[in-house]
Amino acid sequence: MENVRIKSRVLKSNVIMILSTLAALYGIVFLGWILVSIIYHGYEYLNLDFFTKDPVPPGMPGVGGLRMAFIGQFIITTIAAFIGTPIGIMAGIFLAEYGRGTWWAMFIRNLADIVISMPAIVIGAAVYVVLVAPLQSFNGLSGSVALSILSLPYITVATDEMLKLVPKEMREAAYALGAYKHYVIKKVTMRVAKTGILTGVILGLARMAGEAAPLLFTSFNNDHTTFNLLKPMATLTITIFIYATGPYHEWHEQAWAAGFVLTLGVLVAVIIAKYLVHGGSFTAPFMYVARRITKINKG
Amino acid sequence: MKLKQVLALAVFAGSLQGAMAWTITGAGSTFVAPLMQRLALHFKQATGNHVNYQSIGSGGGILQATKRTVDFGASDAPLKPEELKRRDLIQWPDAIGAVVMGYNIPGVGNYQLHLTGKQICDIYMGKVRYWDDPEIKATNPKLNLPHIPITPVHRADGSGTTWIFTNYLTKVCPAWAQKVGFDTSVAWPVGIGGKGNEGVANYVMRVRGAIGYIEYAYFKQNHFNVAVLENKAGWWVAPTMQTMIAAAKQANWNEAMKHDFYMELPNPPGKYSYPIEGPTFALLPKGKNTNSYVLQFYTWVFNHGDADLRALDYITLPDFVKKDIMASWKKQGLSW
Repeated sequence: MENVRIKSRVLKSNVIMILSTLAALYGIVFLGWILVSIIYHGYEYLNLDFFTKDPVPPGMPGVGGLRMAFIGQFIITTIAAFIGTPIGIMAGIFLAEYGRGTWWAMFIRNLADIVISMPAIVIGAAVYVVLVAPLQSFNGLSGSVALSILSLPYITVATDEMLKLVPKEMREAAYALGAYKHYVIKKVTMRVAKTGILTGVILGLARMAGEAAPLLFTSFNNDHTTFNLLKPMATLTITIFIYATGPYHEWHEQAWAAGFVLTLGVLVAVIIAKYLVHGGSFTAPFMYVARRITKINKG
Repeated sequence: MKLKQVLALAVFAGSLQGAMAWTITGAGSTFVAPLMQRLALHFKQATGNHVNYQSIGSGGGILQATKRTVDFGASDAPLKPEELKRRDLIQWPDAIGAVVMGYNIPGVGNYQLHLTGKQICDIYMGKVRYWDDPEIKATNPKLNLPHIPITPVHRADGSGTTWIFTNYLTKVCPAWAQKVGFDTSVAWPVGIGGKGNEGVANYVMRVRGAIGYIEYAYFKQNHFNVAVLENKAGWWVAPTMQTMIAAAKQANWNEAMKHDFYMELPNPPGKYSYPIEGPTFALLPKGKNTNSYVLQFYTWVFNHGDADLRALDYITLPDFVKKDIMASWKKQGLSW
């Protein structure tokens, strides 16, 4: 009797284990498939011209590159990071430290959740109304603003959650020593939560770097390299969108290669973020690699 | 010391020259996009100025020109004078292009499939569903048409190519005129939507059994097969330079000039006329500070661009039309 009960429990446990393993495999297979096909199709079209030349119209002699998209992507996401990161971290500090428990903080927290689940194209359309239509020109700056809005809630929520994890006793100890509130935040809580916040920032930035929809109506696109933030500016994501849906074979090749570069960039950012969580410092991934190399040498 | 001054002067002069070269942004018609990109490249080589043309569809071109977020728009759907007034735009044609019926049928090569206007209409109405339908076999007795479903491809975005194509269907097919009509986007009874001429061409090449309407230049640059069509006079015509020019000759410019160049060219008369064809237009948002740059560009196109038009098999405008367009700019009080 006892034996039968145990057997049926083991059976149930095994069934659930197999099902959940299959579900995990299902997800991993597709992720692996996407990565492998991007690497497989992408890497062979990478060459120097790809990074250093502007495109040549299809059907014209010569092969161009996507210089304008690399430069534009770099400018737009960098500015977006500089707008989004400080505002996001400040908002997170407000939620966790100053506004804790107030209805106002609850309101902002809910707002952040809504923005996270908002379709990115809606953010693009909103920025179009505010920054493109009045300026009477599509411009790169509005693309940065749209992307920073997209990354804001990720950074805010990450900062908030990380600060909330800091034990109450640490704050109390600092207060007991006579520290001001801003001093406690700066020297105690932020220091403890630093790694987690950094991870949130990197994930937020990685998320926005892969977005095309908010840029459709804002930074638009440009066939030429430009550094003028008030003019239309090309980005990798928009270029991939246009090239992949286009009819020309060389466009498809370049879209794969651009996708490869973009994926690699985002992947590296995410891996750094993961190591920061586990290793606790910026040097951790390099230390890890160094340890591996020495191990291999020894082995 | 002297060397430094010379260097400084050179840098200054260089920056001045850099400041003098200008960039304008145009957007719209995917129909004319291959031509605009080619013209932009040659214009840059000739003058050092940049033209950034983005192929977003005629519907988008009309909208963004009206909102003044671009320096000029491009559309293959002509706007009527009252519409131009409402949007505060100036319109002129810059080239004429044909729309081909591209298909992907295993075993059927280029210029082999013969289609009448009624057949195209029935395909896009969803009445004819398989390639071996008796209605299609009637005009293609020698072809070995397979029993595979027809996938009609249309545009998903607002499009002047759609305007030209549906204007043609409206003229050749009473049922279409009654139920659907013509515009830059219509309520398609059947089919799948592609973004831009690029998207439709892409679908036609990738989907077995697909048929789609595509601007001629995309046929020239890609590998898909196109149909021979029956024209208004009842002759079978393939899209070639000869039949496209014959159709373009049927345009009544003197009448169009009175209406800001509005015209409905599709299904023209004439034995050799290719039936699905129309001019493509530029739209200038009046009062933008870049107006004179846009007119400089188009003056260059009218004076030096014909070789590029011919290279991509667009039909050039007659000289008297070009002159009239430039005269109309002056009449509108523009200078460049």
